[in-house]
Amino acid sequence: MLEQLLIFTRGGLILWTCKELGNALKGSPIDTLIRSCLLEERSGAASYNYDAPGAASYTLKWTFHNELGLVFVAVYQRILHLLYVDELLEMVKREFSEIYDPKRVEYFDFDETFRQLRKEAEARAEELRKVKPMGNDGRKQQVVKKGSGGFDGGNKKNKSDAKEADGDDGKGRKLENGHSNGNHNVVGEGNRGMGLANGKENARSNNGAFDVSKLQKLKSKGVKKTTDTSVVVSKGSKADPKKKVTKKNRVWDDSPKDAKLDFTDPVEENGNENIQVMAADQGESMMDKEEIISSDSEEDEEDEEVGKDSKPDAKKKGWFSSMFQSIAGKANLEKADLEPALKALKDRLMTKNVAEEIAEKLCESVAASLEGKKQASFTRISSTVQAAMEEALVRILTPRRSIDILRDVHAAREQRKPYVVVFVGVNGVGKSTNLAKVAYWLLQHKVSVMMAACDTFRSGAVEQLRTHARRLQIPIFEKGYEKDPAVVAKEAIQEATRNGSDVVLVDTAGRMQDNEPLMRALSKLIYLNNPDLVLFVGEALVGNDAVDQLSKFNQKLADLSTSPNPRLIDGILLTKFDTIDDKVGAALSMVYISGSPVMFVGCGQSYTDLKKLNVKAIIKTLLK
Amino acid sequence: MEGIEQWKTEAQQWLQQGIEYAHQIPPTQLYAAVAVLLFTTLLLLTIRLLKRTKSNTIVLSGLSGSGKTVLFYQLRDGSSHQGTVTSMEPNEGTFLLHSESAKQKGNIKPVHVVDVPGHSRLRPKLDEFLPQAAGIVFVVDALEFLPNLSAVTEYLYDILTKASVVKRKLPVLICCNKTDKVTAHTKEFIRKQLEKEIEKLRVSRSGVSDADIANDYTLGIPGEVFSFSQCINKVTIGEASGLTGEISQVEEFIRAHVK
Repeated sequence: MLEQLLIFTRGGLILWTCKELGNALKGSPIDTLIRSCLLEERSGAASYNYDAPGAASYTLKWTFHNELGLVFVAVYQRILHLLYVDELLEMVKREFSEIYDPKRVEYFDFDETFRQLRKEAEARAEELRKVKPMGNDGRKQQVVKKGSGGFDGGNKKNKSDAKEADGDDGKGRKLENGHSNGNHNVVGEGNRGMGLANGKENARSNNGAFDVSKLQKLKSKGVKKTTDTSVVVSKGSKADPKKKVTKKNRVWDDSPKDAKLDFTDPVEENGNENIQVMAADQGESMMDKEEIISSDSEEDEEDEEVGKDSKPDAKKKGWFSSMFQSIAGKANLEKADLEPALKALKDRLMTKNVAEEIAEKLCESVAASLEGKKQASFTRISSTVQAAMEEALVRILTPRRSIDILRDVHAAREQRKPYVVVFVGVNGVGKSTNLAKVAYWLLQHKVSVMMAACDTFRSGAVEQLRTHARRLQIPIFEKGYEKDPAVVAKEAIQEATRNGSDVVLVDTAGRMQDNEPLMRALSKLIYLNNPDLVLFVGEALVGNDAVDQLSKFNQKLADLSTSPNPRLIDGILLTKFDTIDDKVGAALSMVYISGSPVMFVGCGQSYTDLKKLNVKAIIKTLLK
Repeated sequence: MEGIEQWKTEAQQWLQQGIEYAHQIPPTQLYAAVAVLLFTTLLLLTIRLLKRTKSNTIVLSGLSGSGKTVLFYQLRDGSSHQGTVTSMEPNEGTFLLHSESAKQKGNIKPVHVVDVPGHSRLRPKLDEFLPQAAGIVFVVDALEFLPNLSAVTEYLYDILTKASVVKRKLPVLICCNKTDKVTAHTKEFIRKQLEKEIEKLRVSRSGVSDADIANDYTLGIPGEVFSFSQCINKVTIGEASGLTGEISQVEEFIRAHVK
């Protein structure tokens, strides 16, 4: 059943609600929707899931009427998938826009219209269900497929498969870590849950075995080879697809676990062989791809040639009509009008190193906010789009939480406990260097700082930090290598409480986002110590990988955490900002994907080279 | 070259003709035309200047969920209608206050009220309206005050240190909303808490500002404990209840600064 249907202005005044439905919503789904979805430039998505505190879970769907500035939101229980909601919203939008008058604030007479519309929509949905029992079967199959897709994605083993899964249920997964889209059947959900659970179990046991073997290798070879780690990692990831195939079979066969362990062990041992096989496989697929690409490009060329013939005429007309339109002001913007401008904008963003996925989503969101709006006279579409994009960018980059660390430090000092900052990130982005810069900055503001060397993995990491500590004249807490970093951090915090340090800066080992054992260790460190700030250190040089890094760090922290409300990344430290000239897109990608602000920007080699992000300058550069 | 020479002679001929035509017109008429031209430009300029000085804009600001939109509709229509949700865009309107329009005194200037969304992503919108503002109403949720204390203070601090506020000495009313509820805090308590928090902020902000110039001015007198009376602009505290329509203090504030 439909729980609620609301019509409100963008200004926030509720114009009409359905009184018949009249169910009191638990929690505040509408406000949450607006705050965490519509205002975060995610309105391009299809639906939003809301979990109320009291076990109720709703799915919300919405549509905009941009010309009149109206928002229509429908709320329903997630377990019921209502097929007619989209249609109903469209009909309500059409009917309501006819009677809407900006000066009027009450629409009691709309009750009757709505009742009819709803009956109509329900009847049509019922008809569809009767006419197409075949369609339903198809759906079910799809759901099963989705389940398996989710299982692959959950494990993050095989990229190509994960991509397929993305295609299937991309939106649902993006919204909430693998929650269903609300359109799925209950049966489907059950299946999927099982799949996920199984998958996770397998992954855990696999990784256990993998970890042990790796440690043994390390021991046998001695710790001297630092490059060894990367080799092992790559081996692991390359051997994985094989493992995954067997896993998949087993999950659906329900055979005992022992069989799988028997199978994976030889894979580990004959890792080299596998690599060769895989390499060969990859080579072939690349060849195939190239062929496809080349044929594609040929087709494109042909298309272009065909297009060229017809283009000049169209352009001539287009120029005059666009001149006329820009003077007169076009009635309503349509999607087709916006497309060229949006495409140009997207390309421009991508040349500025914004991740493609982000640029795409942003453009969709801007299109959603502009569609149906009246264009002002004497403006071009491109400038309208640009203005809308600028507004959206300001909204994204403006920090949602306070980025005033000093104040938080003072608050923690009053409570007589140290303020703990954990630096996390992938290898070689400059965690230790920027940790030293932050320490220097804090020292300048008369805060006593202590470093904790929790990179017990890479050789030389502790020595590096010790050098920084000596130069800055601050205490360092270290316990050598081969210790559990979580325990080292815990002891460091205890030590800081004893000697009255205000801030503890915890350095961690760099880790790739796909390295499950290391991510698990990080999750443990964060869970055990509950730091005040989890700072993600990322390179400004990074392009498309920024999305992957941050989303996976966040997801791993959420998935691998044992506590019910896991800690996620609170802020971002952007390093190597002096090396990128005008390609500042990484800042946007990272902020958009994580929702957390850029707290510092590292821009040089010396201790003083730490800045705050200048939002205005970034936006100016992005849209230049 | 010849073309240019030709152009030159032609232009000189035109000039000659123009001067001759000007000579034919009596000088009084000429002076009159110049005077009219000067007068209109001056008039336009003064009108613009006058408009800028006599602003009638009141800005409603505050955190998301503090009740700005309800207050806006209470001022305009005297009712909160069917409730509100989080605003995504500012609400604007030029109108006579509801309580006054009922009396029909006549000759009251309508007020331009702007309700700026409180969501932190939409805060930059505030800068668009502040330059025209005649006064700011900072709405505070008196019910859920303590959990949001730091966020409220930060926002208030930002407003109080903005150049457009300090330079023009904009009056600020800190309006404690939702006082109809039993568990709401008193305005005295809220004032004290805010002053205490701002004192803390002042210390930490002075440390940060050298990195990025976010705040243009520092608050209060250095070396003294902060209180709102130290502000260059007038900061007052009032109570209101948007839901029940008890908003007389806000109306008084608006009328005191928009005449």
